[in-house]
Amino acid sequence: MKRVFHHPQRPKRPRIWRSLAELENSPGFETVLQREFPRGADVYEDSGLTKRDFMKLLGASMALAGIGVTGCRRPEAYLVPFNKGVEWTIPGKFLFYATAMPLRQGAMPLIVSTVDGRPTKIEGNPLHPFSNGGTDAFAQASILDLYDPNRSKAIKENGVEARPEAWDNLLKSLSTSAEGMAFLVERKNSPTRDRLREELEGKFPGMIWCEYEPLGTSLAQEAISASFGQGVRLLPNFERADVILALDSEFLNQSDKGVGFAHGFFGRRGPDQKDAAMNRLYVVENHYTGTGGLADHRYRCKASLIGEFTRQLASHVSASGDDSALASILEACPKTAATFDEAWLSACADDLLANRGRSIVFVGEQQPVWVQILGHAINHALGNSGATIMGLAADEKPSASLGDLAAAIEGGSVKTLFVLGGNPAYNAPSDLNFSDLVRKVSQSVRLGLFEDETSKLCRWHVPAAHYLEAWSDVRAYDGTYSVVQPMILPLWNGVSELEILAQLAGRPKPQGPALIQETFAQAFDTDPERWNAVLRVGFAPGSEWPAATLSFSGSPPGARDDVKPMAEGIELVFLQSTSVDDGRYANNSWLQETPDLESKVTWDNVALVSPATAEKLGIRANNFGPIYQVAEQMGNNIDFDVVADLIEIKSPAGASVVAAAYVAPGHADDSISLALGYGRSGVSALFEGVGFNAYPLRSSDAQRFLTGVQVKVTKGGYPLAQTQEHRSMEGRDLFREGTLERYQHDPKFAQTMGMDSHIPPNISLYSHPQLTGREQWGMTVDLNSCFGCNACVVACQAENNVPVVGKEQVRRNRDMSWIRIDRYFAGEPNDPEMLTQTMLCQHCENAPCETVCPVNATVHSDDGLNLMAYNRCIGTRYCSNNCPWKVRRFNYFDYNQRPLDHLYAGPLARKGMADSLKMAKNPNVTVRMRGVMEKCTFCIQRIEEAKIARLVEAGPRNKNDVPVREFKTACQQACPSDSLVFGNIREAQSPVSQTRQSDRAYVMLKYLNTQPRVSYLARIKNPNSKMPDASRVGMANGAPHHGAEEPGVDEHEAKEHDPGDRHEPEEPTPH
Amino acid sequence: MANFFPKWTNQLPWKLTVCVAVLGTAITGGITYYFTPKYTRVGYEPTQPVPFQHDLHVQQLGMDCRYCHSFVEIASHSNVPTVQTCMGCHQQVQAQSPKLDAVRAAWNGGKGDGPAVNWVKVHRVPDYAYFNHAVHVNRGVSCYSCHGPVNDMRVVFQHESQSMKWCLDCHRAPENHLRPPDQVFNLAWKPASSQEQHQIGTKFKEEWEVNPPVTCGGCHR
Repeated sequence: MKRVFHHPQRPKRPRIWRSLAELENSPGFETVLQREFPRGADVYEDSGLTKRDFMKLLGASMALAGIGVTGCRRPEAYLVPFNKGVEWTIPGKFLFYATAMPLRQGAMPLIVSTVDGRPTKIEGNPLHPFSNGGTDAFAQASILDLYDPNRSKAIKENGVEARPEAWDNLLKSLSTSAEGMAFLVERKNSPTRDRLREELEGKFPGMIWCEYEPLGTSLAQEAISASFGQGVRLLPNFERADVILALDSEFLNQSDKGVGFAHGFFGRRGPDQKDAAMNRLYVVENHYTGTGGLADHRYRCKASLIGEFTRQLASHVSASGDDSALASILEACPKTAATFDEAWLSACADDLLANRGRSIVFVGEQQPVWVQILGHAINHALGNSGATIMGLAADEKPSASLGDLAAAIEGGSVKTLFVLGGNPAYNAPSDLNFSDLVRKVSQSVRLGLFEDETSKLCRWHVPAAHYLEAWSDVRAYDGTYSVVQPMILPLWNGVSELEILAQLAGRPKPQGPALIQETFAQAFDTDPERWNAVLRVGFAPGSEWPAATLSFSGSPPGARDDVKPMAEGIELVFLQSTSVDDGRYANNSWLQETPDLESKVTWDNVALVSPATAEKLGIRANNFGPIYQVAEQMGNNIDFDVVADLIEIKSPAGASVVAAAYVAPGHADDSISLALGYGRSGVSALFEGVGFNAYPLRSSDAQRFLTGVQVKVTKGGYPLAQTQEHRSMEGRDLFREGTLERYQHDPKFAQTMGMDSHIPPNISLYSHPQLTGREQWGMTVDLNSCFGCNACVVACQAENNVPVVGKEQVRRNRDMSWIRIDRYFAGEPNDPEMLTQTMLCQHCENAPCETVCPVNATVHSDDGLNLMAYNRCIGTRYCSNNCPWKVRRFNYFDYNQRPLDHLYAGPLARKGMADSLKMAKNPNVTVRMRGVMEKCTFCIQRIEEAKIARLVEAGPRNKNDVPVREFKTACQQACPSDSLVFGNIREAQSPVSQTRQSDRAYVMLKYLNTQPRVSYLARIKNPNSKMPDASRVGMANGAPHHGAEEPGVDEHEAKEHDPGDRHEPEEPTPH
Repeated sequence: MANFFPKWTNQLPWKLTVCVAVLGTAITGGITYYFTPKYTRVGYEPTQPVPFQHDLHVQQLGMDCRYCHSFVEIASHSNVPTVQTCMGCHQQVQAQSPKLDAVRAAWNGGKGDGPAVNWVKVHRVPDYAYFNHAVHVNRGVSCYSCHGPVNDMRVVFQHESQSMKWCLDCHRAPENHLRPPDQVFNLAWKPASSQEQHQIGTKFKEEWEVNPPVTCGGCHR
């Protein structure tokens, strides 16, 4: 019987779309889609080399090769052992050390793999009680900063290299007779630093200690102090929270605590929990964040109106209770003439009220203090304080603000200024005029990883030690004490902050961990065994801050000067960049090339505007047009390129920034969001021409948003390197989701959706591979717990030596990431739902790529891996053409051997990579060269390592007596929300087998019968039926191919077909 | 009509055939023999910075391989000993021997900060092949199988071709090389006959369930 089996038709106006261009079916997008490979990906432009030239060159090189043969000798290679054995070091074996990465308010507990004394990979510490082993993209990428060849390498005085003795003498003279001492440092919870600070304060009376972070939490701390008293930290208890409302708060993705929060939050997010209901998340925000994408109900609201929204919500809460504190605070709050969806607001408030003591309200930490106090008051009125929000008695000492320091410098009382870390010349509020301030100080010393804007202002520049190069200590967000253990001696004579402080305090230059040990002995224990135990596990168990009872004493914020109604007009919102944070990772190419979740733009920040506002302002949505006419004249068709309109944003004070505008679906109207941390120059080639600097518009009283900005479109277009348009869903059922109600009613809804209910019995032309291995590897991706944090993307890059290709190459669609996060929108462009889907090689059992490879470079292993033998690959790229998932990556250039700005240079041009970058490579993964296809290997190096370890342990015994040691793939290890599960699907008890058996599990494009080894678990949403938008939630599925209008209607299909007609769940056995 | 071709051309076809055949055979034979790792690699015997003698240390002194190559059982690399290991004995034995100049220079009277000893690599596996020593020696493959009679060598040379085919020959039929576990480091051990080798090899292969990988991913990552 012949069966003709068609793909579902692509709907004219898709339900799920990646970009506005796709939604509108623009002709440009259409042509892009029709190509197997994105156009331009295979163009060798700019070379000026014709085929004829190439043949000539080929002939000449052949002739030369003949001459060379006579001198052909086997090149000598050397084995160079250590002169003296190094403790613990075994050549060819990883050593793992526990350490922690200091962050603003806490720490990221880490395990670092080192090989031959150099750290190569960072992973989360799974034993840590707060982080539970998760990490974020920043921590994963921080190892590249360590090896960055652009780091500063010498002590300089007035820009000229100074002798080390001169620096030592300076410290010595300052430590004895310094007046007007001031320190400007980064926010850090380091007990040793606090101790040294106290010593210095005793020694230098009147010393100023100022902590500054552009994206810091000083406002949040102020609000907490005003509400609960000094030295209190709030820790949400997600376990008890049924309803969570986030007001302009991306609580999952704040790098210093989001990782810790994610574990708790997702612990209650699963629809299959036995003993508790799935929590419900409301998000009110101005632009789409990962947290917003997860929300059951999301409301678009200008950041400047969050205060008013909170006020109106508070009055709902207040109306149905008798909380006097809330009422009095409410009284003092300013009113803004703004209306919101009343039904949304009241239903949300009712839900919170119905869950008294079982809800949490988060207010963004950059919001004005009064808004945050109001948030605490709501929590208090709802009885959440002490129930879902716990207090910790943190021993944090208050420090001076940057404003205080500025006033002191203006007053002339500061003679010596130490700027330890940070980059205030770049990121201080513009109204402080920090550059002028520094010039007023006679002796200024700057400690920094890079010779950046601030270094150029200061008299002295001292290269800083990376956190992996120097001893330190730090407390996590919950107070758990960790020692920051160095992994390597400073590569370029970096000096740590603690060394300088200790020397100023009159101590000798600290050697090794002595300083930290002293702190540890004072705080905990003098027993060296205990110290060793802390080093071994990475933290001191039970050292978290003691609980504090939360008594709300919120005074009405009426007397505060930041309490004012918000202005009308367009606002500019300052975002934390998902790539460079506040600018500190601007020189980190891994992060620069990681696409932003919302815009999918790499190597740039963009001004995000809503479609409606864009129309109002005359900003065009991304268009496929030539960048410049010249290119067209040259015959280079570059219509794959995305060109953004440039807009000029002018603050009421007169400062302005020109930025590329990006029309962002789901953005609030009359609001523009621009990430901080871009637009830097003067440190390295990587910095140049990357993004737009938003700091000049940011001032002390406009930290989160600036109201009343003037916006106009300026001339010119700006090319964006965007990974979003490269691939499209074409209306297929790739992403599946449903509501909790539907799931309970029809648990297997995801498995019968769309085409999956029509699949005929498996008839395959190709022979199925012999899957004889005892272990059969597979993975599940839980869409319910992915919020698109990019940790997996960077972890994969670090683990698998994935090269960086640069902005120009990303524009030509040559990005190399093995794992990517596909971001889709569903619904109307102004207020759509956002979907995130982790995409990696699916390791199909009937892999389409394998059947088309002419040289057997991609083959199947007996344990179910789709292998890639780089040495066989001749670069035909047929495999990528035939891959339904577009997860294969081709090395168009020798990205590892060429600097990114020399990719097009001829064969004799400069080659090679910086020595320090070679040190960052994983020695267990081949570094691929030009002309080779590559893709996700399921971290085969880890699989083989585990299998070999089993065999070594088994020795002369049956190997099956020994189980394969547990291990995780790099992406799985990095995931803070356990969205990725990897393991042996043959073993019934393994987590991956369990999750594959879930009712929510489905495979993509099942009707193609490729039998992927990666299963996806459908996303479940938990809408509140009383909400006005409840009917739209959980409906983001591809078009039902029968032409049914409603997405959820698959019941008729299930009835229509004989269940026997359905394909059985796949078995990893030969068919 | 005169003959268009002279008479000698009658013999040309077979002469040509013979010449081409001989030349072809020579080229094919030459390439098959000379262009393979068996020819290009086997016998490679570079001069080492220190004239270390394996035969002396193993046969006369009775040292075990693992005294110097100490991590071979647990690590992927079989480490070359540190200078410290050499000096463990040579501070007393042959303490003044000029042959050990390079070692003493590296040791520098115990400070260990002298110029490192650059041993020339004899066996060289390409970067994209990941060979693991530990798994082989723990599962009954002797040093001998890949390195030959190092115990007899005055200067180490490459004994086996170590080409991919050579690897796969053993991976496909490990019974030809599996040894009793206690004889792995005894390079002088020899099975009585190839039948006996096959017999014990097959026994171990079944008992221990030895099935070496023959897919690309076993060695190439």
